[in-house]
Amino acid sequence: MRYYRFGNPEGRFIGNTEKYAAYENVISEHRHEIGAESYQNLPGEFTFAYGPATGGLIESVAFDLHTPGELIKHVGVDPYVKTRPLKIRGLAPQDALLMVERINGFHAASNALAFEMAVEDALDIDVPDRVWYSRLIMLELERIRSNLEVVKRVCEPAGFGVPQNQISYLRENVARIISRLAGHRYFFSASSIGGCQISKSGIETMISSVKREFGEIFNALLESKIFLNRLQNNGNINEGDLLGPAARAAGRNVDARLEEMHMPYADLGFKPFIFDEPDAFGRFYVRSQEILASTDMISEALEHSGNSSATDTAGASGEGAARVESPQGDLFYYVRITDGRIEDIQMSSPSLLNIEAFRKSMAGNIFTDYHFNWESFGIWISELAVVIQ
Amino acid sequence: MSSLWFLNGVRKGIKTERYPSTDPAAAPQWPSRLSGSNGGNCPVDAITPEGWIKEKCIFCRRCVPDYQPTGDQDIFTVKKTEDTFLKSFHLFPLDSGACGSCNMEFLSIFAPQYDANRLGIFMVNTPRHADAIIIMGVMTQGMKEALDRAYEAMPEPKLVIALGACAVTGGIIGNAPLDREKYHVEIAGCPPSPYTILSAINAARGGSNMRRDSGSGNREAD
Ligand code: SF4
Ligand code: SF4
Repeated sequence: MRYYRFGNPEGRFIGNTEKYAAYENVISEHRHEIGAESYQNLPGEFTFAYGPATGGLIESVAFDLHTPGELIKHVGVDPYVKTRPLKIRGLAPQDALLMVERINGFHAASNALAFEMAVEDALDIDVPDRVWYSRLIMLELERIRSNLEVVKRVCEPAGFGVPQNQISYLRENVARIISRLAGHRYFFSASSIGGCQISKSGIETMISSVKREFGEIFNALLESKIFLNRLQNNGNINEGDLLGPAARAAGRNVDARLEEMHMPYADLGFKPFIFDEPDAFGRFYVRSQEILASTDMISEALEHSGNSSATDTAGASGEGAARVESPQGDLFYYVRITDGRIEDIQMSSPSLLNIEAFRKSMAGNIFTDYHFNWESFGIWISELAVVIQ
Repeated sequence: MSSLWFLNGVRKGIKTERYPSTDPAAAPQWPSRLSGSNGGNCPVDAITPEGWIKEKCIFCRRCVPDYQPTGDQDIFTVKKTEDTFLKSFHLFPLDSGACGSCNMEFLSIFAPQYDANRLGIFMVNTPRHADAIIIMGVMTQGMKEALDRAYEAMPEPKLVIALGACAVTGGIIGNAPLDREKYHVEIAGCPPSPYTILSAINAARGGSNMRRDSGSGNREAD
């Protein structure tokens, strides 16, 4: 393992895998306890159960909201109702990749790349520079689409039909850009162990128009006082372990892209956008800024990017780990490969800590704040509700 | 402020395509109908001596060049239609164990490019108001009861639509949530594109997918 080692907890906590706790550069064999507090309703309070299959929820997830009526005193989240068992152990890495891409299809590029990088680390596979540029483009395009979806969803409960539709339109255009670049609207089968296959033609012009159009919508939203009022001071959280846009909105300079060794973020002068409003507004603002910043990075990276075919991993053995900044925060993969087969695979999804942050941030808010706040975290249940076999 | 947004919206003009009465403006190649012969190495056994099985295919491109995508988005099967829903068709989506992409492609049919609402197709928040249930993802233990309850809560007549390889056959992930004979409509794809979803839903309520401008014919129920 070139970047990770087993040892005592040290540095920023990233999340738990099935067996381990992942930190910035250390894997600990002791999982980090995340307090699963229960709540007893006080006299006059009741539990409002919401989900798992209800309109307004994009994925199946169950909430218990404890409330005396309007104020939410405590939130319980069960993200495991739709848990999928995935048979990955025993597969060759390229076959495992088909499953890994489908752990969270909306963030398939992040999952695929983190897994590929862990395998490449395990098997000492060198990847050409041009491919690292292509991979950066994939990650940033995925971030643009994911952040657009979050911004769209926070417009929804405000009843802001026009910006909501304008952002849906842009999100669909980005899906079409992804399809053109990667051959698939969700990046499935676009990258491989040691390689990547993208097509760049026409992408630059399309990306500049995304930047221009989103910039206009963002500026108009910032002038909509009613919209901003719904977000400001909603879901304040600046305690405990925070990742991704939630951490950066709370003023923390944390981003896996800062520690990236291969993808040329440093060469492109990448600096995370840090804000000082740890609420739904801050998360909306950081994500919007990241959309604009990602379009710039893609435009610069395009000229250096290129392809290369997959590396054969038959018969190889080793142990490796990698972490990427998915649109939701740090995403970590560990693999142990024996004789060309995945013997062990461990994954930690940013949803774990983001759900915890959402839960804590919700206490003391009222029902009407709930949707804005949940959507502002951009949580994906699919990547948490998996059991890898 | 709201009038500003109104003007802002009007200024952008109409963004909606005329599909399904015209050809799709931006049909993806993956997924679309595959054409070819022979070939092996399919991770989900979608290539058989009898030919390509669209409902099993996860569109992973491993069979290229033996098989090639045609761009044809009509990769669905309608076994039963309900023309009572021709004027308005209310859909309740249920995620029994999806990866998120089927969920997003289903939502995309309401994006301005497709605007399913213009065809009288709406999403509802409860199965009690639904004409059809859209099932996405594989079977998971935790969602069994929710699926049964949603199905029971729907008034008659009702349609059951399986969206995506996982829901129809289990895809590469696991097992399908229901036996295939329970599905009235099966939509292939991993995930299916919004074009395919829109055509399939339109065909389920007896709507025409005739391409008036291109004359490619009505091929919804293959
Ligand atoms: S695209 Fe993949 S899943 Fe589909 S037939 Fe070809 S090899 Fe099989
Ligand atoms: S069919 Fe494919 S895209 Fe749809 S839920 Fe299953 S794995 Fe995801």
